[in-house]
Amino acid sequence: MTGGRAARIRVRIARQAGAEVVSVAHVCAAAVAGVGVDGAGMTVGRSTVHATDPVAAALEEWQLVYGEGPCVDAWATGGPVLVVDLGATAARWPVFTPAALDSGARAVFALPLQVGAIRLGVLDLYRAGPGPLSPGQLADALAYADAAGTLLLDGARAGAPDPTAHDAQVHQATGMVLAQLGVSAEVAFARLRAHAYAQDRLLRDVARDVVGRRLRFEPEPSPEDQNER
Amino acid sequence: MTEHLLAETFVELADTLVDDFDVLDFLHQVTVRCAQVLGVAAAGVLLTDQRGALRVVAASTEQTRMLELLQIQTDEGPCPECFHTGRPIAVPDVSAVADRWPRFAAEARAVGFAAVHALPMRLRADMIGTLNLFDTEPGALGADTIRLGQALADVATIGLLQARAIRHRETLAEQLQTALNSRVVIEQAKGVIAERRGLDMDQAFTLLRDTARSRNLGLSDLARSVVDGVTVL
Repeated sequence: MTGGRAARIRVRIARQAGAEVVSVAHVCAAAVAGVGVDGAGMTVGRSTVHATDPVAAALEEWQLVYGEGPCVDAWATGGPVLVVDLGATAARWPVFTPAALDSGARAVFALPLQVGAIRLGVLDLYRAGPGPLSPGQLADALAYADAAGTLLLDGARAGAPDPTAHDAQVHQATGMVLAQLGVSAEVAFARLRAHAYAQDRLLRDVARDVVGRRLRFEPEPSPEDQNER
Repeated sequence: MTEHLLAETFVELADTLVDDFDVLDFLHQVTVRCAQVLGVAAAGVLLTDQRGALRVVAASTEQTRMLELLQIQTDEGPCPECFHTGRPIAVPDVSAVADRWPRFAAEARAVGFAAVHALPMRLRADMIGTLNLFDTEPGALGADTIRLGQALADVATIGLLQARAIRHRETLAEQLQTALNSRVVIEQAKGVIAERRGLDMDQAFTLLRDTARSRNLGLSDLARSVVDGVTVL
């Protein structure tokens, strides 16, 4: 059951954080223990925001420097790139692969943090030995990536994931708000989520109002506009 | 159903598979052809999100209520049952399952559907999703129609997974997740177009698809370009 897995993983991340505010570091550490890998790193935009160890840090660094690797491909396609044995990928990433092997990584699982066209980042998991993730481990890895994505979207406010976040109308409404405000999809989605949060409503219900043209978003006045008043 | 239509359908789908093609465009085409060839009112495809739930990826009509009816099956209905058992599920009369799947039955009736069938989409040992068929009159589909429907479900599976490349579970997972994310991009693009042009979601999808065809672009690529603001439709 999908809700059960997401809830279980949320508990593990919260436990990892303890008394601290949940951060990317806690998600990475919980993913390493929960999925059963040796390390994790996260790239947001063009920079590494966290790595659980030097190997994970090196993997992130080389992909940024060389512009190739599983993380780069996951960012481009919007789908995960699951490499069970880097020993067999030299042709695919000729510069990255030997560097990654040298550093001590043998399997890499790159999970994009994307909501349609909204590209937040990539969560990379690695193992020192070759071998696939089991179906259960893959499901957990995807769920940790979901949790990381929610954290990046909502920041410290991130609480229980909204079960309606995958509804078609939520994504349609994001597109409509994008056009109403003349902003990026990421900003439009953030506005939609913030509205739902502030009104204590499900995203689906807010989205339905937007798609039904009962709710419009207005551009926020810029600081200059406010100064003029 | 005419043999001519059937032949034309398989030729068209086979043609698509030979070229470099857009998976979402292909799946949409399969659902439209399913409805025509099988003589049902509508068809939709749900895929596993590999976290334990199904998600909508394509439908023969993009009307909001149709997508919602498919979406309900994230929780209940013939599709999850088909997915978990790996067997085709026939619901010849939707009102007979009102106790078992109350939300599904109510929504199906509200949209005007009386009969529903779910056919498994499977690659070897792995279930990847279901093909859902809706009809406005009650009654079970005949054995021949089901067989043909299953053949179309198999074509959809092969196309989706570009099966020549699927030697590993890893590739399967990569393709499924990419398709699901592409579906989200299309929903976002529908919203952008609907707002700018004052269209409903079905019209927005049609404009997106027709533009992709006339410019010879992939549906997902064009959708991404619209959401990223590179293309204005």
